[in-house]
Amino acid sequence: MTDETAQAVRIPVDLWEEDVEAVITTWFVSGEAEVDQGDLLAEVMAEKIQFEIVAPASGILNIMVQQDELVEKGDTIATITVSSN
Amino acid sequence: MAAKERKLTVARAMAEAMSQEMRADEQVFVMGEDVGPLGGVFGNTRGLYEEFGKERVRDTPISETAFMGAAVGAAADGMRPIVELMFVDFFGVCFDAIYNLMAKNTYFSGGNINVPAVIMTSTGGGYSDGGQHSQCLYGTFAHLPGMKVVVPSNAFDAKGMLTAAIRDNSPVIYMFHKGLQGMGWLGTEAGATVNVPEEQYTVEIGKAATVSEGHDVTIVSLGMGVHHSLRAAALLQEKGVSAEVVDLRALVPLDRDHIFESVKKTGRLVVVDEDYQSYGVSGEVIASVVERDISILKAAPQRVAYPDIPIPFAHHMEQWALPNAEKIVSACLEVTHSDG
Amino acid sequence: MDPTLEQKQWMYRQMLVSRLFEERVEQIYLEGKTPVFNMANGPIPGEMHLSNGQEPCAVGVCAHLNAEDIVTATHRPHHQAIAKGVDLKKMAAEIFGKATGLSGGRGGHMHLFDANVNFSCSGIVGQGLGPAVGAALSRKMQKKSGVAVSFLGEGAANQGAFHESLNLAAVWNLPVIFVIEDNAWGISVAKETATAVKHNATRAAAYDMPGVYVPGNDPDAIFTAAGEAIQRARAGGGPSLLDIETYRLAGHFMGDAEAYRPEGEKEGLLKKDPILGYESALLASGNLSESENAEIKDSAKRAVDEAIEFARESQFSNPESALEHVFA
Repeated sequence: MTDETAQAVRIPVDLWEEDVEAVITTWFVSGEAEVDQGDLLAEVMAEKIQFEIVAPASGILNIMVQQDELVEKGDTIATITVSSN
Repeated sequence: MAAKERKLTVARAMAEAMSQEMRADEQVFVMGEDVGPLGGVFGNTRGLYEEFGKERVRDTPISETAFMGAAVGAAADGMRPIVELMFVDFFGVCFDAIYNLMAKNTYFSGGNINVPAVIMTSTGGGYSDGGQHSQCLYGTFAHLPGMKVVVPSNAFDAKGMLTAAIRDNSPVIYMFHKGLQGMGWLGTEAGATVNVPEEQYTVEIGKAATVSEGHDVTIVSLGMGVHHSLRAAALLQEKGVSAEVVDLRALVPLDRDHIFESVKKTGRLVVVDEDYQSYGVSGEVIASVVERDISILKAAPQRVAYPDIPIPFAHHMEQWALPNAEKIVSACLEVTHSDG
Repeated sequence: MDPTLEQKQWMYRQMLVSRLFEERVEQIYLEGKTPVFNMANGPIPGEMHLSNGQEPCAVGVCAHLNAEDIVTATHRPHHQAIAKGVDLKKMAAEIFGKATGLSGGRGGHMHLFDANVNFSCSGIVGQGLGPAVGAALSRKMQKKSGVAVSFLGEGAANQGAFHESLNLAAVWNLPVIFVIEDNAWGISVAKETATAVKHNATRAAAYDMPGVYVPGNDPDAIFTAAGEAIQRARAGGGPSLLDIETYRLAGHFMGDAEAYRPEGEKEGLLKKDPILGYESALLASGNLSESENAEIKDSAKRAVDEAIEFARESQFSNPESALEHVFA
């Protein structure tokens, strides 16, 4: 039996300066897709500047916040289910 | 094992096409306003300056006449410039270099000089940027013998056609729609961000694509219009009308055969074009069917195009004028006589 | 730097070829256009802009250029094409619209292209400057030798393209030389009424590049000024502006009645024919013997005669060939 741990894909708490809301402008991968650590997952825009969110681990992506939805710093927007034997 | 899915926005796809081609061919370089460290105001040169430096990714002064002319001269001398015209609406300040030099020098030289330049330029409105920053001008550039014209509707075609354009020994104007780029501050058509292979590939310039099959009516479009057409096709399906959506992908060469074959199948034609209605793309598509065989048509063709007005600033006026899925649905219902 | 004896004789001969060519073209141009001057008629249809009187500009500059150097020229290109080494027979045939022309008849007198010597010209005022900047950029980026020269008239110095191109060339430090042939007239408009400065050379300061005014329409003086500018460009010293006083001995275009010229100006200019002046100077200084002179004149005439005959006798292409060479 494999152990599965879910790693959170979080927007860094210090990604932008102001305490403004942001929006997920693009998901570059679909839900349930396989991703590798470092892959570009999404773009988040705060005050006209776009920031990249990359995969912190390898595994299967599970999107929790959809494109065009609002987010704040620190939010978890997806999880990656990491399989380990 | 299948290649991992990887979506790109049109902007990133363009940047990837350029970076891969610049690695492969030293003669390729980019110049334009803000293409360097900024990565292009529409994100299409993202990462290029970091990788290739200021010799090959050149920020220019605001001197379209000079740098468009320079693109002609450099291309004639063996370079392969990709020159950005930031907004297609700016063509007025460099149109001679495009119209009378870039497109014509090969002909005037009897084929002895090639001008392998690519102009990449932004088109399209819908975000209240006003009449001098929102035009499509497809017809203006298609109506120019000697110039190839490419209009991608999605990131896959965007990368493939830009690679093909850079490799083409003829001049190509690559017209990307701002609303498909993936720039958050513009609002983006989600359907344009699609899976893009990591390796280099080309999409042939001059071949249209049927993006959704149907048998009651053919909707021909390009760029942003393809996405409106797909939405319209879904709505029409609910009403029992089966629409076939054709993405032109290029205006020069125009894939008249593909258009004709589709209309021959359905018997009905609706053309969707964000450029001005009269004297342009929609008329050309219709004419190319009608002059070939009018008997294939079961109804008069319709066009959903921008009215012949300068583009208004006010949001409600601009939205009223733009093509959209509802207008396309109406036009399709009319040609199929399904509107009661 | 002064021209050597060989260079002087080269310049003299090229000017002669140029002038003889223009005189033949002028004659032939009028065939079929009398008594009614309809531009569409005759063996050389269309517009015709002759360079009589401006030959020193072409030879003084091109004496320093090789085949690999690039020249962009204007609607008045014959003297520059000849000085640059464009194939004279094919050039004549092109002006006649024949299949054997440089472009098979597709370009004509204002669109002469010879890739072998990197010469091109175009009919829109001021629009050859951008391409010259681009060619210079290309050589610099490829680390290949060669400089670009853009010939323009003094009227073109009031085009946006002039200012943009000079600025861009300076900002990117490109090996390009802008050469103004100041013949004082923009068709019928005198320079003083169109240009804010007395000499365009002063405009170079606005773009932080050297600007030199060369009066007198003298091949040797032009040679010296051009030589410095071209040497500077070759050495990586960037662009320059040359502003050369010259005379347009013919009208702007064939058919121009020149009523705008002040009385006596034309006659006065003809007395200052630069070729006659150069010939006298060469003979007087012993740089040319009478027999050398006769030989040069003879060879120049033969070259022109051969070119015109070639053009006359060449065939026209099949009309449908107009569809060819639109794309690469």
